[in-house]
Amino acid sequence: MKYLKKILLAFIILFIGIQFIIPVRNESEQVLSIDISKTFNVPDSVLSVLKISCYDCHSNNTNYPWYSNIQPVAWLLDSDVKNGKDKLNFSEFGSYTKRRQQSKLRSIISQIQDNKMPISNYTIMHKNAVLTTRNKTLITSWLNKTRESLSILN
Amino acid sequence: MKYKIFTNTIKTTKAMSKKSIVIILAIVIAFTACNTKQSEETETTSTEQSNQLYACPMHPEVTGKKGDKCSKCGMELTELVKSETVVQSTTEPATIESTTKVSIKEIVGAYLQLKNTLTKDNSKDAATTAKAFIAAFKNFDKSAFTSEQKKTFDDIESDAKEHAEHIGANAGKIEHQREHFDMLSKDIYDLVKAFGAGQTLYKDFCPMYNDGKGATWLSETKEIKNPYYGKSMLTCGSMKEELK
Repeated sequence: MKYLKKILLAFIILFIGIQFIIPVRNESEQVLSIDISKTFNVPDSVLSVLKISCYDCHSNNTNYPWYSNIQPVAWLLDSDVKNGKDKLNFSEFGSYTKRRQQSKLRSIISQIQDNKMPISNYTIMHKNAVLTTRNKTLITSWLNKTRESLSILN
Repeated sequence: MKYKIFTNTIKTTKAMSKKSIVIILAIVIAFTACNTKQSEETETTSTEQSNQLYACPMHPEVTGKKGDKCSKCGMELTELVKSETVVQSTTEPATIESTTKVSIKEIVGAYLQLKNTLTKDNSKDAATTAKAFIAAFKNFDKSAFTSEQKKTFDDIESDAKEHAEHIGANAGKIEHQREHFDMLSKDIYDLVKAFGAGQTLYKDFCPMYNDGKGATWLSETKEIKNPYYGKSMLTCGSMKEELK
């Protein structure tokens, strides 16, 4: 019992201690000139779907849930956001070369069609991020159109 | 119940030193867990260094591992060699074209190996060869390029590397690997068109892949061996272009 108490106390202190280690938030009000909305003509309907379903991990602006104020939750979110932005960042889409933009667009389409994105451990907590069939067709057809316009350019 | 334990333990201040040891231990464990990733990274870089080539200070054409002796004069090999192409340009004043072609050939060779693993439906080997492919790009010497050539090359490289990374990270998911191989093949085609391959290649076309939109690949043989479907449709496809 004595040990149990000590371990418990250690965990409580550790838990309080880690609350002070807060990662920098992924938030930016500024819309860069390399933002996807500046690179391509993105209809508002498409943009709003992207914002709800993708932007938390694939843009410079995460909409943080309340539990992100508790550690180590914020750490986990932070690493997911970093990883997501590393693979694809809509806020800086214009910084990719035309070749990579085409690749990214194609990968986005196939990820959506295969129901791999939005990722399931994200949609558990974000039910509204799940893409309806209608929204899926809406954004994939826009993505396809954009990709074709790019390949003509090349 | 939990609160009771908490207040009880606070009262027993005598055991504080033991407690603090436990706490310190817990914190140390938490932090070392975060640091393990970093130490792994440094390990990989150190092994890379040990594979570096060294040349004799008197005979730059003689190369070997660090500590080896020169076969011509017996001096220790101390000069660091950046990549094989550097050695070539010092031994004979080769033209830009021939030096680049040698290394492009390595990249193309790694691509062809990757293609052959996919024709055999071997997802695991595809992942391994994809990593070798990335290494070939990494070791490529761009110093002989004009700024225009470098721009073209960097553009292709950044895209090709990304596809190869996906292929390397998805052993067991051959469908996903093939998707990236399709995009990678376009990059390599452009690379060969821009810089030459140093060997004859054939551009093949599979009309079925990609939901009927079709996909191309490069091959070293005239014979069709389809990397998109493997065994199930090995000879399906047609040769579209001969690249010399």
